[in-house]
Amino acid sequence: MTQLIIKNGFVYDPLNGIDGEKMDIFTSNGRVVEKVAEKQAKVIDASGMIVMPGGVDIHCHIAGGEVNAGRLLRPEDHFRDVETKTPLTRSGVGRSIPSTFTTGYRYARMGYTTLMNPAMAALEARHTHEELNDTPMVDKATYPLLGDWWFVLEYLRDDMIEECAAHVSWMMTATKGYAIKIVNPGGLEAWGFGNNVRDLYDSVPHFNITPEEIIRGLCKVNKLLNMPHTIHVHTNNLGKPGNYLTALDTMKCVENLASEERPVIHITHCQFCAFKGSDWNTLKSGAEEISKYVNNHSHVTLDMGQVIFTDTTTMTADGPFQYILYQLSGNKWVNHDVETETSAGIVPFRYKRKSFVHATQWSIGLELALLVQDPWRIYLTTDHPNGGPFTSYPKIISWLMSQVAREKMLKKINKRARKNSLLPSIEREYSFYEMATITRAGQARALGLEQKGHLGLGADADIAIYNINPELVDASKKYKRVRDAFQEAAFTIKGGEIVVRDGQVVKSVSGKTFWVNPQVSSTADITSNMKRKFREYWTVEFENYPVPESYLGTSCSIPVEAKV
Amino acid sequence: MLITLRPKYSFKVPVEAECINPSLFAEKSTMEIAKLQVWEGNRKRTLSDLFKITRETPNPLEKVTIKIAGDVNKVRRIGSKMSTGEITVNGNAGMHLGEEMKGGIIKVTGNADSWTGSMMKDGTIEIMGDAGDYIGAPYRGSTQGMGGGIIIIHGNAGNEVGCYMKTGLIRIGGNVGQFVGVHMRNGTIQVKGNSEGRAGAQMLKGKIVISGCIPSILPSFTIDRITPTVKVDGEKVEGPFYRFIGDLAENGNGKLFVSKAKNPNLGVFEEYL
Amino acid sequence: MPVVSNVTCPVCGSFCDDIEITVKNDVIVKVKNACAMGEAKFLNYASHRQTKPLIRKNGELVEVSLKEAVQKAAEILASAKYPILYGWSNTSCEAIRVGLELAEEVGGVIDNTSTVCHGPSILSIQDIGISSCTLGQLRHRADLIFYWGSNPWSAHPRHIDRYTTFAEGRFQKSAWRGYLSRLTGILSKKRLHRAVNLGLGRQTPSPPETELRLPSTLLQNKRKMIVVDVRKTRSAEIADYFLQVKPNKDYELLQALRMLVRDEELDVDKVTGIPVETLEEIVEIMIGCELGILFFGLGLTMSQGKHRNIDAALSLVRDLNRRTKFLIMPMRGHFNVTGVNVVFTWQTGYPYAVDFSHGYPRYNPGETSVVDILCRGESDAALVVASDPVAHFPNVAAQKLVEKPLVVIDPQVTPTSIMADVVIPSAFVGIEVEGTAYRMDHVPLPLKKVVEPPTTCLSDKEVLQKILGEVRRLRRNHN
Repeated sequence: MTQLIIKNGFVYDPLNGIDGEKMDIFTSNGRVVEKVAEKQAKVIDASGMIVMPGGVDIHCHIAGGEVNAGRLLRPEDHFRDVETKTPLTRSGVGRSIPSTFTTGYRYARMGYTTLMNPAMAALEARHTHEELNDTPMVDKATYPLLGDWWFVLEYLRDDMIEECAAHVSWMMTATKGYAIKIVNPGGLEAWGFGNNVRDLYDSVPHFNITPEEIIRGLCKVNKLLNMPHTIHVHTNNLGKPGNYLTALDTMKCVENLASEERPVIHITHCQFCAFKGSDWNTLKSGAEEISKYVNNHSHVTLDMGQVIFTDTTTMTADGPFQYILYQLSGNKWVNHDVETETSAGIVPFRYKRKSFVHATQWSIGLELALLVQDPWRIYLTTDHPNGGPFTSYPKIISWLMSQVAREKMLKKINKRARKNSLLPSIEREYSFYEMATITRAGQARALGLEQKGHLGLGADADIAIYNINPELVDASKKYKRVRDAFQEAAFTIKGGEIVVRDGQVVKSVSGKTFWVNPQVSSTADITSNMKRKFREYWTVEFENYPVPESYLGTSCSIPVEAKV
Repeated sequence: MLITLRPKYSFKVPVEAECINPSLFAEKSTMEIAKLQVWEGNRKRTLSDLFKITRETPNPLEKVTIKIAGDVNKVRRIGSKMSTGEITVNGNAGMHLGEEMKGGIIKVTGNADSWTGSMMKDGTIEIMGDAGDYIGAPYRGSTQGMGGGIIIIHGNAGNEVGCYMKTGLIRIGGNVGQFVGVHMRNGTIQVKGNSEGRAGAQMLKGKIVISGCIPSILPSFTIDRITPTVKVDGEKVEGPFYRFIGDLAENGNGKLFVSKAKNPNLGVFEEYL
Repeated sequence: MPVVSNVTCPVCGSFCDDIEITVKNDVIVKVKNACAMGEAKFLNYASHRQTKPLIRKNGELVEVSLKEAVQKAAEILASAKYPILYGWSNTSCEAIRVGLELAEEVGGVIDNTSTVCHGPSILSIQDIGISSCTLGQLRHRADLIFYWGSNPWSAHPRHIDRYTTFAEGRFQKSAWRGYLSRLTGILSKKRLHRAVNLGLGRQTPSPPETELRLPSTLLQNKRKMIVVDVRKTRSAEIADYFLQVKPNKDYELLQALRMLVRDEELDVDKVTGIPVETLEEIVEIMIGCELGILFFGLGLTMSQGKHRNIDAALSLVRDLNRRTKFLIMPMRGHFNVTGVNVVFTWQTGYPYAVDFSHGYPRYNPGETSVVDILCRGESDAALVVASDPVAHFPNVAAQKLVEKPLVVIDPQVTPTSIMADVVIPSAFVGIEVEGTAYRMDHVPLPLKKVVEPPTTCLSDKEVLQKILGEVRRLRRNHN
């Protein structure tokens, strides 16, 4: 097994409180260790460079039914951006919805080593895992969509929290999932007949339950199962003016379920639910209100969902939202409803600098990241590819680290949006330490991935080295230099092996798939109950539904002791 | 400057030669041109592997003309992205002739294949013989069709001429297949011969003029009036023509002109006038 | 005798997964729950079979070792300038993944059978999008079911029963009873007609195929089924209403319906022979339903207009969503033709007709689709996996295919394998080999191994891996 010594780099390891200290990192057998003998080890001279844990993405649509439907929908997105086969790598196509191999390579080139695929229809879990198996270079996991699952709706309606928890645990094991994903709770069930829910307190048709009850119920279930991550919530009313109130209601509704300062809810791609105003014309940023709430409450984490001015592909499980987006844009539209579970929608979309709405959205994302004081509770994402492709992360890094960079873009955007933007009033600039927090350490902590996001002893040897000297380069002024450095890592180390060098893949590795395996006491009862209802609810047989562990390329189960 | 390319043998597998581009040749010596890369199937070749290259009139200031002497119906993307100069093909040309062309002239004495002038922005393509399907069309999945320039086909063309066309002019001297002007956004298509039907399907705007016969008009078009003449690119075309508006299934406002004299079967529409 | 339950049926796109199979001495002796097509496959799959690899020598196919056959196959593919790799819809996703890697390695064009079935549907999805769902969604919710240019009764025999009109769902009851009473009505009418003929001793004209007035059942608030086709199929007979469209006039009919959905008036009284009033009533039913679904088959994709027919159908359904909930789904034929599109797409970005000749995926059906390549005579070698193009391609294409070196991997003896230069028989996926395949609605399901394959037959995946290994060895030695 390879042993590595990474010498003399400026190490940013926020989970261990290391802030740019010049030090050596040792790895052996895929782990960070205290010391290795120089004779047997490969030495990387990282002097003048930044050393960070490998990047962690808490929310990126990279695999599964909807992502692939997006790929199929958009040959025009692929044909100008290709990856040629090399002796080490497979070919592929790119842009907003890259093919699986290309996704893995491009993330690795940016120093990312762990990816979370946030939307998996349980019925199509095999598909997601097949694609994850073909996504090289990174460790990965995927969240099953459970907020509109009939079992959840029925058990929560009947106030049977423990039964609900037991069934969710069955689902987690059956789909090899990692966290409870909730998308527009209740709204997707209503979308089955072309409807939606209005707010948190609207009743879900035919089920006599409200979105609030679903969120609170699953939050309790999450605690009962002792899941490593919180519930991962895409709010109701996403993408509608005035929805910051829904986002605040969503955070508030689980306030009293929090304990010991620990987060109990993650609001994902928060930019898309931080809209103030009564219609598109009066749209304003709700970032101030949301960040104020988050700054005063420790039970919430957020990710940005930053918008990039480019042509991209929107895809969410939020069928009704995607339909609205189709009506707004007139672009082609895919809808895919999944029996008893969820839905999905896809619409290609171009964010334009000169559009008032799009420019306002761009501003909101950055405002959120800059106004939320604690970098441990907001994470850098674009909700890839919804706000823009993941390859634009370095741009966002430069905007967060440099007021000059922000001002430069501000000058180019829609005038009215610029006038409304809070950005000119914000002086904050992220440090490299904070940047390491919102791109890896914070995300790993929120996910409960103990081996990831840090370089302490025993951590996975997933390491990114960027060719930029924090002592010599003022990120605030030389933001382009920062952007370039984060675009192409000098080295990416995955599991203790050098996989990328100078932005080029030098070794292809397959990566692990994490899944949570809750240990519950009464599996027999659940199985018999599921079996009984299976034919009634689905069109496949009970036995053919679960994804066997052997199906995963490299399975890595995380057992958790559940309280049911 | 005249550069002549003579195929060294008859090509069997597809050849991709987007380097056959006057704008590109202009900056290069004959040696450099000879070394330009082309694909023959899955093999990388140089231009001189496939063609005998001769250079005449060495005046470097003159515009570059590329003459292809011989049949190159397997050679694709000739003149792709060219912005100036001229290409003449003495024979048949392969697919994607003049794709994304930005200027200059392409002339083919024989036939051209499908996707001729695909996504072209400006310039002129003139085909003396027939052409294939998807003249001026965009790439799969894209709505960005022909965005300018002129395509003239003296013979017949296949299906979906001017698919998703945005602007510019396509003239077909002979007949066209089905779906001429499908999904058209704007621009003008003139067909001197017959159409196999479904003209203007799903068009939003623009003008299609058919001087020959058409089996029927789509039910999603409505008759608007009879007009004695119609203008195409400033020129008057003698009618009379039935003028239809559509495609109403797309809330479109395109104009479809169809010869009255050649289509007595359309007389039934007159009662709606 | 051991019974294997919950077996998926490797025949059609309905991909039923509740089959029970009884095995005796490693032979299938009984099949439960399957339709006639499924049962026949499970019981007779091995009847036309060659189990040893073959190579054509002096014009004759002779038995050789697997090693020799693999070597020959690899040489053919590695030396070709523009090889095609075709088939794939009747094998597992695991084999398809290796197939793609092989195509990339040899710089070939890989295409699957959707090129001759629902390829046009894909082209129009790429223009318009698609409003679709999984089949259970329809079982629970659909109260209006269209089958357009598709005859599920014959081609997907359990489709209506499992997923649509006759299935029982949470919000919709099965329409089975209504059908029974209608059937009785039809039968008694036929009997009456026969009796009249007998009594009068002459032929009276039978009642017209398309009744222009809509039956009252269509206006009732319950599940109903409408069939649109050029002829009265078995499916049309059991439908609440049959709308007969003139051959090759589907596009006109669809566009007319779209006009009516937009409340536009038509300039004509009839569209393809159907009075506009009838169409208006149908549109009213479409708008008035709780959830409608339009299934379409090759009758729509392969008739004149091809992908533009689908274009209109997809647009019609999309537009209907402004008024109600409406969905649409292609009736995919082979059991894994959906899966082959899925795997192609995640690995290359494109669902079929993928050209690797430049070292990266390129896609342009019409240019990079194998039938077109063959018709133009551009390929110089071919690998066919789990498919029979010689029987199904146009004559010119089939001829060009067999003129050049041809490698076939197939468990069965087919017209294509008989014409091949190298034949490597493989095991039957879904019977002798496990794997994954996708139902027509993109739901992935496991394929089971029920009996052992002959010892000389490896799976498609293993054979392809061997060829890939050999190609790489040849390349290394060459460099």
